[in-house]
Amino acid sequence: MAKKKIKVPKVVNGVPQGEVEIEVDDTAGPTWGPNDKHRLLNKPMKRVDGPAKTTGAAIYTQDVRPPGMLQGKFLLSPHAHAKITKLDLEPAQKLSGVKAVVAIVNVGGEVRYEGQPVAAIAAETVEAANDAARAIAVEYEELPHAVTAEDALKPNAPAVAQGRGQGRQQKQGNAEQTQAALASCDAVVEAEYRTPILHHSCLETHSIVADFRGGDEATVYASTQGTFTIPKDAARELGLDQSKVTSVVQHMGGGFGSKFGIGIAGQWACRLAKQLGTPVKMALTRRDEFLAAGNGPGSIQKFKAGANKDGTLVAVHAVQHTMSGIGNSNVAGQPYQYKAQHAYREAAPVNTNEDGSVALRAPGHPQASFAMESLMDELAYKLGLDPVEFRKKNLKDPAWHRQLDAGAKAIGWENRNKTPGGGAGPLKRGMGCGVGAWGGGGNAQCVVDVTVAQDGSVTAAVGSQDLGTGTRTYIRAIVAEELGLEIDDIVEKIGNSKLGNANASGGSTTTASLAPAVKDAAYNARTEMAKRVAPLLGAQPEAVVFDGRKVLGNGKSLDWKQACAALPAGGLSARGQWKPGLSASGVHGASFAEVEVDVETGHVRVTKMCHVQDCGLPLNRKALESQINGGMIQSMGMALYEGRVMDPELGVMLNPGFGDYKLPGCLEIPQLIPIIDDGDERQAVIGMAEGANVPGVGAVANAVYNACGVRVRQLPITPDKILNGLLQLQQQRG
Amino acid sequence: MNAFEWANASSVEDAVKLLKPAGGKVDPDEAPRPIGGGQDLLTSVKAYIVHPPRIVNLKTIQGLDHITADGQGGLKLGALATLTQVEEHADIKGKFPGLAEAASSVATPQIRNLGTVGGNLCQRPRCWYFRLENYNCRKKGGSECFAKEAENKYNAIFGGGKSNYVHPSDLAPMLVALDATVTIIGPDGKRDLPLKEFFVLPSQDVRRETVLKDGEIVTEIQVPASPLNAKSTYLKFKERDSLDFAISAVAAALELAADKTVRQARIVLGGVATIPWRVPAAEEFLVGKKLDDQVLAQAAKTALDGAKPMSQNAYKIPLTQTLVRRALAKLNA
Repeated sequence: MAKKKIKVPKVVNGVPQGEVEIEVDDTAGPTWGPNDKHRLLNKPMKRVDGPAKTTGAAIYTQDVRPPGMLQGKFLLSPHAHAKITKLDLEPAQKLSGVKAVVAIVNVGGEVRYEGQPVAAIAAETVEAANDAARAIAVEYEELPHAVTAEDALKPNAPAVAQGRGQGRQQKQGNAEQTQAALASCDAVVEAEYRTPILHHSCLETHSIVADFRGGDEATVYASTQGTFTIPKDAARELGLDQSKVTSVVQHMGGGFGSKFGIGIAGQWACRLAKQLGTPVKMALTRRDEFLAAGNGPGSIQKFKAGANKDGTLVAVHAVQHTMSGIGNSNVAGQPYQYKAQHAYREAAPVNTNEDGSVALRAPGHPQASFAMESLMDELAYKLGLDPVEFRKKNLKDPAWHRQLDAGAKAIGWENRNKTPGGGAGPLKRGMGCGVGAWGGGGNAQCVVDVTVAQDGSVTAAVGSQDLGTGTRTYIRAIVAEELGLEIDDIVEKIGNSKLGNANASGGSTTTASLAPAVKDAAYNARTEMAKRVAPLLGAQPEAVVFDGRKVLGNGKSLDWKQACAALPAGGLSARGQWKPGLSASGVHGASFAEVEVDVETGHVRVTKMCHVQDCGLPLNRKALESQINGGMIQSMGMALYEGRVMDPELGVMLNPGFGDYKLPGCLEIPQLIPIIDDGDERQAVIGMAEGANVPGVGAVANAVYNACGVRVRQLPITPDKILNGLLQLQQQRG
Repeated sequence: MNAFEWANASSVEDAVKLLKPAGGKVDPDEAPRPIGGGQDLLTSVKAYIVHPPRIVNLKTIQGLDHITADGQGGLKLGALATLTQVEEHADIKGKFPGLAEAASSVATPQIRNLGTVGGNLCQRPRCWYFRLENYNCRKKGGSECFAKEAENKYNAIFGGGKSNYVHPSDLAPMLVALDATVTIIGPDGKRDLPLKEFFVLPSQDVRRETVLKDGEIVTEIQVPASPLNAKSTYLKFKERDSLDFAISAVAAALELAADKTVRQARIVLGGVATIPWRVPAAEEFLVGKKLDDQVLAQAAKTALDGAKPMSQNAYKIPLTQTLVRRALAKLNA
């Protein structure tokens, strides 16, 4: 068969890392056809796992309790940086119900952040495990720490990770030329924007059950974004062959980038299970989760930027620091999606004595977008330009022009505050906008099997997990549409490493990788079915049509079940793999927010939000709108409420719980307007979830400015910052 | 949480006996504790902030969850009446609107279904340093207030010093504004006192927020008949409307003459002080005046006189002034 080379995105643990070229078969094969010609796809569909989830019937890892299962628990370091001078496990080992207590860091070893696991425990009950953790006699010699950027970047800062608290620096562009270009700009803005460390806040905390009872086999139940990221590492910890370890992920309660691999929880669940020959569950508490399960990095981004009266973005000079804890993250580069005549960017992670940052929904993008969209807004106001028009002038892709126009119309952009802070009364209304982008492409990792039984039942099987994005539903819909059946006629089997391979859900690549493979398997099943049934109809296989639960050809028709009765006892099996052309890469989004700011209390209420998103072929419009809504809520949370608070002196987190780490709740949710950008006519599937939570952050911040005239450059935008900002404005005006 | 003994009290007297610390005087955080709805107690027990060896269940006592009229226009609230009961009570909504508002401003519907009047008045501070198990702040018997020089945007601007937490109750400011009294039963018998005297400053007893001694429990709150009751309101400001404690709150009540001249006024601040913070100077300033914009502004200013903000909480002054103005304007409307 002829071959062709195509480029696909490379994604490692949810972080896009450029593209790689691969060789694929150049075949005709299945195509999606025009986006508006689908029978089931591109329509709103109910989530097939909805009833199980809403009634509690769905089994999550936290629900799994194999016979004899013990409860695992970590003792966490209470210090940001310390040496262990004494560690006596015996008092814990002696407690009733405690089966194992094992040191993770030994005497003489160092802990580098509050929450670092120091010892692991397995006990008969959660209570016994908790008591054991507290019974361990451990003494620390506290060492100097740094948990703020200021402390970490001091010349004499304590060494956290790579050298003096600053990781490898990246540089792009020409700094001198960019600086020089600023001199001739009509308007220049110098500003620093900050975003705090954020938490994934998955409803299900990191949980894993190592079901090992001796012998040479094990099953590992995991709350994970990657079914196939589990067996290899679990097998190593259990000392088993990888082929003898099965991972199971039936339902999982959110990942957002924090759940790849077995992690330290899985490592110790396996080690303790191996040691004791009995199943062990490690389920982090919410506090553990905040301290030790990874986080989304914070950022400090300093700009000097200039633009001209005609709206040309001339120069953007950006220095980006990423607050990575002991990890190594970078935010997306500036000037983000905009084209500047001259741009210079340098970036480096800043290491602090905090747990390491990991991917968090669109890693590095909300931070970069908030800063750049704020900067664009500041320039637009300084030049007296319409913020939407100024953006369009500096955005090349027509998708953003289309989306900004659609969003402006939906939000009523012409009704924005003409003068920031203007208007009568204490309640000021304002609007803001922003744009974002994501990759979302697919690649060749999924293997899907569609089987048709002699009784007509159809199964689509692949090991992929459903991260909550609706995988189960579109698997059914794609197969049903191809075979002329209905959603309920298909059974999907997922979340098991014994089924066909699938990629981890990172970088919004699941749908674009999996849906083409499902389509291919369904296409192959249909082709095979056609061959079998054609003789019964007296038709050519190519002329057989599947529609309305019937198989038609040569003017005759058979019910689906009648047709399937002609299959051999074992039914029919067809395998599908990802095919180029069925997926694409690159999505665009534009967000608008309308807020109401009470200038006498500093209270901000988002009254309306709109997000326009493209994604090629929308598989399920209801799920897509839910994704867009979720993205808007998440970006609003980042703009107004969320953020880790550290005490610089003590080196500990002050708000490790949902009472004090404030996620938006029901009463915070504004009118949400999700708009699917049907102007995107690509007949290909593209992941979009990480496009949806990016531009809303800047949109909300810009709306706050438009409403009350206060530019809050440090998130979250809380009432104290609004009131302090208003006070400053008053003082400036005399 | 540490293991503890659970004891169902059969009567108030039984509860008092069960609450008596074994071996005489103990640290207040090590003494037996009563439980009503448990919505605060369990959070502090689970966080290892308090370590009661015994938890005495008051819900097995009959007749402590009443909400009744006192026959003279006043109100009696049993300590075990839930916040939902208060919030939904027709008479309270009609005749004590500020009280219904205060109850309904607490937390979430599920917490209000369990949380009680007595528990709401006796809850412990939310200061995040107090809630850190590993840091023994002055309130927990240590030698410093960590908030003073650090992350203190939510802390007190009044009544601080030794310790700078804010009193977390929403009912307390409103009930103090309505001149409520509290009945306490303990080893030495029964005593009644004005609710205002129930709360103590850290300068009086940094380890406790109330005058309750070991073994004492609140059994009832009385709100006397008063023209203030019908003209009462509670304005609570939260960072997050769905679920939050007050950043600042104002409980206000007025008696107005027919021509809207103020006969008497009550202004009690919540969320900004270590106790429900009554501001007599502002109350007295209002008497004999009609509430125009200028009077409102002056009352608001006076109410915040003497505030001592720390490094991050000066914003509470203009915020609270706004709430005072708005509460009074609402009552005057």
